[in-house]
Amino acid sequence: MKSIKLWILLVAASLGVHSAFSQVRSPLSINADYSVAQPFGSLKDYANKTSFRGWRAGIQYQLNDQLAIGIRSGFQEFYERVPRAVYADKGTDISAVQTRTLQVTPILATVQYQLTKPDAAVIPYVGLGIGTANMVYNKYYGQFTDRYNSWQFAASPEIGINIPFGKGSPVLFNASVQYSYSPYKQQEITSYNVLQGNVGLRVHIN
Amino acid sequence: MKKAMLVMCAALGVTLSFSSCSKDPLKDMTEEESRIYVTNYDDSVNFSSYRTFSIVDSVAVATNTNERRALTDYDKQLIQDVTRSLEARGYTRVDRAAKPDLAVNLTRIDNTYSAVYYNPGYWSGIGGYYDPFYWGFPGYGYYWPSYYQVYQQERAVSIDMVDLKNPRNNQLVAVWNAMLRGSGVWNVSNVNSMVSAVFEQSAYLKATNN
Repeated sequence: MKSIKLWILLVAASLGVHSAFSQVRSPLSINADYSVAQPFGSLKDYANKTSFRGWRAGIQYQLNDQLAIGIRSGFQEFYERVPRAVYADKGTDISAVQTRTLQVTPILATVQYQLTKPDAAVIPYVGLGIGTANMVYNKYYGQFTDRYNSWQFAASPEIGINIPFGKGSPVLFNASVQYSYSPYKQQEITSYNVLQGNVGLRVHIN
Repeated sequence: MKKAMLVMCAALGVTLSFSSCSKDPLKDMTEEESRIYVTNYDDSVNFSSYRTFSIVDSVAVATNTNERRALTDYDKQLIQDVTRSLEARGYTRVDRAAKPDLAVNLTRIDNTYSAVYYNPGYWSGIGGYYDPFYWGFPGYGYYWPSYYQVYQQERAVSIDMVDLKNPRNNQLVAVWNAMLRGSGVWNVSNVNSMVSAVFEQSAYLKATNN
């Protein structure tokens, strides 16, 4: 609910700075992407599988032909099941099948700069998202879980392309690669490093 | 703007339906995978300083409301497997009247229907499933070094080994413990594999240093 309020505030604020520019499409757009994410570093040691369970969605407002601001959320889940092994600690040994999961829900303020004018056939862009991410860490020993839930700072630079479905079309294909970082520390995870590919649509609505 | 609101509502709907797509690790888990075998030991103890043990002749069944003793096929299997495992590590089984170095208590714990924090310390001195008279130590409870953490919310099995040789301040020390937790721990066909697992991960448990 909080994030929706924030969206509305953001849109209202950006309407104030609405300046005259060559309007190929309406300034307000929404976007949704399917995401595939590859973990790196200590996150890879925790759950080394590429995550095919992810998506992201956002809303964006075009300040002028090339600069846009917005807000974006999403979800990504990392998962790995490790065959039975014995985990030793001081005075304790636990034999268990471990199932390791990390569920990440970022909420980011975004800024995007388009490298061409909006009437181009292919619009490359660079972007940056900064905000917070909800991290739900679950390490199951058999059917018993070690669970930690926390919020962390998150930053996510991105490069991508938008391809309009026809000149001036309000619907654009989106493909991008983003790197996500969070100084997240939990058990064996010392930081969150993920390279993520996104494919989806951007639709200009108003 | 009306159109924008509609699209935003649709986007929100999609968001909500997507967020329920996370994988439930418990759904594709077999009973074997669900089980964990936890062993605790007093790391200040040299387990080769013990030679003999005695084991209970029936298994205690502890629930939230009462305790009783039982000797089902499961219990017989458990007594037999633990006995054989200890003998294989060089310990000699003796009658409890023959002053054994170690006492072995077996308990099935059933907290299936109401979850409670289960503090093994509350075994201390409670007759019934730990009967100090059974072991010839009237008035002695046994206590757990503080690093033993046990949380119960289901059926479990506990194998406890108590040092009868070195009572400390009128108390006996539980020097080793195995907890079997998860699905199927009360199933007789799993006893063999569970008992071998806890002994396998407790290599220090042997009567000689060789």
